[in-house]
Amino acid sequence: MAPSGLRRPNDPPLLILVSLADGPKHGHALAKDIEDFAGVTLGPGALYGAITRLAERGLIEPLGSDDRRRPYQITPPGSAALAEALADMRRVARAGLLRLGLKPV
Amino acid sequence: MKPASLLRWYPRAWRDRYGEELLALIQDTLDEGHPAWRLRLGVARGGLRERGRQARHAAAASVRRRVGPDRWGTVLIAGLVCAVGSGQLASAPLPARAWQAVALGALLTTVAVTAAMVLLGGLVALPALVRFVRAGGWPKIRRRVGWAAGATAVAGGGLAALVLAAGARSPAQVNAWGAYWTGLLVAGLALAVAIGLWAAAATAAARHLTLTARVRAFHLVLGAIIPNAVSMVVVTLGIWWWATQSSVTLLVLAVTNLALAGVLAPKKIGRAIRRGRRLQAAASGATIINPSAQRTHGRHRT
Repeated sequence: MAPSGLRRPNDPPLLILVSLADGPKHGHALAKDIEDFAGVTLGPGALYGAITRLAERGLIEPLGSDDRRRPYQITPPGSAALAEALADMRRVARAGLLRLGLKPV
Repeated sequence: MKPASLLRWYPRAWRDRYGEELLALIQDTLDEGHPAWRLRLGVARGGLRERGRQARHAAAASVRRRVGPDRWGTVLIAGLVCAVGSGQLASAPLPARAWQAVALGALLTTVAVTAAMVLLGGLVALPALVRFVRAGGWPKIRRRVGWAAGATAVAGGGLAALVLAAGARSPAQVNAWGAYWTGLLVAGLALAVAIGLWAAAATAAARHLTLTARVRAFHLVLGAIIPNAVSMVVVTLGIWWWATQSSVTLLVLAVTNLALAGVLAPKKIGRAIRRGRRLQAAASGATIINPSAQRTHGRHRT
């Protein structure tokens, strides 16, 4: 399992990293994007709790902004942690699909 | 509902860093028509979680400061003094009376127990030291360890030479031999320097070791017990001297020391045990946090 603490597909930190993988976003844009691609609604408390953890671990970083809506971007360690977590999940998903007799994506 | 009032759930430091951003997000969420009660609940839960994390980190940081390298140095010095002292005492002449033998036995026992505790403290940290050395940490402590080993060799060699030289003479000749006592003084000073250098080497190594919460908690308790054990060595030493020299002053000092230790030791040890438990609880509640990243974050905030 990924040592970065990204364990489940619906973990808020993992969802945030996936959302930031295609570019910087601020809090509201992150929540909207996550709702769109994962169907998970993250409230402000849960979202900023996860942002705090990720920033502390150096996986994301804030960008300078004059607005109150500060955007965040994924860092190289964040990209590496995300790639590792997704590879783990893909391996599990592939094994599960094969055992169900379904074709892995 | 005023969104700003929701921030009160969060710790001040968190509010200073993220407060404005969270308020903007809350406002955007409210503008979209999300239920205010659910939002309020989520923010309150997030704030309480942050307060809990902050409290755990503060407790862990406090314990880390207390189980710092200085405590290691004290422990090492105490242990080495005890080890050296036990050798000196073991070679002391046999006492004439039974109660003097009891006093000497008590003294040697407290010295041995104290030295054993110091060794135990070192042994539980040994795996972390081995990992540190294997990870390429040896160059960081090599010079200090080299100096300490050199000083120990000089002091040990000097003491051994004196013991050998004294062995060939009668006690009366040794007592009248000025060079022997001068050499003993110099060797004793060299030994003190060696102990100091070992303490410095241990301090330098301890700064680099990654110890588990359980080991740190154990060291915390040991750090509270060992000074009291050293105090007991002083007490038994005073009683033994009183027994052999009939010195009432030494007896008064020993009893005073014993009374002080009896009052202070239980409190200190109890406090150390409670801190150790808090440390372990804090460590089990923050396992996914990278300490180095935390430190970096702390610098940004301040």
